[in-house]
Amino acid sequence: MTEHIANQFYADSSITMVLYDELENSKEIRKCVMDGSVEASLLKPILILDKFQVIVAATRAIHNQRHKRMTTKTIHSEILFCLSPSKNISDSYRKFGLGDEDKCMLVVIVDDQDNSKLNAIQALIKGRQLPLSDLQAKADPSAIKTIYKIHDEELEVCPLLDAVVTRISSKETVTL
Amino acid sequence: MAENEKHKLKLIKQGAEAKLYRGDFYERPCIVKERFSKSYRHSALDRSLTAQRIKAEVRALFRCRLQGIIVPTVYFVDLDSSCIYMEDITDSCTVRDYIVQIQKENGDSAISQLKPLATKIGGIVGKMHANSILHGDLTTSNMLLRGSPLDLNIVMIDFGLSYFDSLAEDKGVDLYVLERALLSTHPNTEELFSTMMEAYKQANKKGAAEVISKLEEVRMRGRKRTMVG
Repeated sequence: MTEHIANQFYADSSITMVLYDELENSKEIRKCVMDGSVEASLLKPILILDKFQVIVAATRAIHNQRHKRMTTKTIHSEILFCLSPSKNISDSYRKFGLGDEDKCMLVVIVDDQDNSKLNAIQALIKGRQLPLSDLQAKADPSAIKTIYKIHDEELEVCPLLDAVVTRISSKETVTL
Repeated sequence: MAENEKHKLKLIKQGAEAKLYRGDFYERPCIVKERFSKSYRHSALDRSLTAQRIKAEVRALFRCRLQGIIVPTVYFVDLDSSCIYMEDITDSCTVRDYIVQIQKENGDSAISQLKPLATKIGGIVGKMHANSILHGDLTTSNMLLRGSPLDLNIVMIDFGLSYFDSLAEDKGVDLYVLERALLSTHPNTEELFSTMMEAYKQANKKGAAEVISKLEEVRMRGRKRTMVG
């Protein structure tokens, strides 16, 4: 149920994703991530249409890290920032990051070759793990359309995922 | 592009400004457009020009998309190695090949069969111009038909020469390039171009009259403006 994806651009880099539901202690997990004791990006699944959306953002984030051009302080916060259409960091956290009351969460970990980061966070989590394929059912297309400012004119000619992906990949070059 | 990446890509086209590769982006078929550096340019200027052009291309793709014009999805933009990773439009043929094929198979009745296609193309170009997007290289090879050609799902590609401009003069030149490209690749297609222009007028209601009168001017003198005085 845990998905490991090898980074296409850097052989020594990877992206790990795990989906959780029925979460009891999101506040606690969030606190640990914020103080740096565990490393991970905690995302709101409601805004994630497909794992490909996360892959595109993570590829961007890892690229920024390797070229020493990150906007935020850590690679895991950079993923959140890259995922968001906003250029405001705290705004991006608020929208895409896990909330204290959330019951559902997508964990994304970068460069976890020996599973130590994953094990550290899994020891904390009180919740039920779901297959990543359940992402689609958890996503809310209308919320995604609002956040990414996607209008129906565009959706007549392309799937919502393509519209989202283009916004993530073009973020640095296009001002919305 | 990263080194471990390069060997998986297959070079499919080499132009004056860029190389095109075919490969995968996380299991999705993708096209990589790499703008290579020009050794005759000063390195600082070269970097800045290349970066500007990549950004312009990504912006144009994005703005077309907002208007409901089908363009490839951009997966990744790498300004460090000057590459754009974008969707490979599989299951498609160029409008050029399609027109050639229809003309070969149908002789005299080809034009009437191609009219719906011309209407669609005119509409797309009109919409782009109405939104100040100039393609810069409107040829029938830069338009793809995705899926069954009868569905008229036209995908516009290669925005490498595109720019944003609201001048009727430049739009006239854009149409002139289209006309020349059409007539020189496909003989006896004058009627198709007029069909395109009818659809263009519908899609670019406000600006069409002025652009078409500029087109007449451009036809008289060629694409380049006379620089006297």
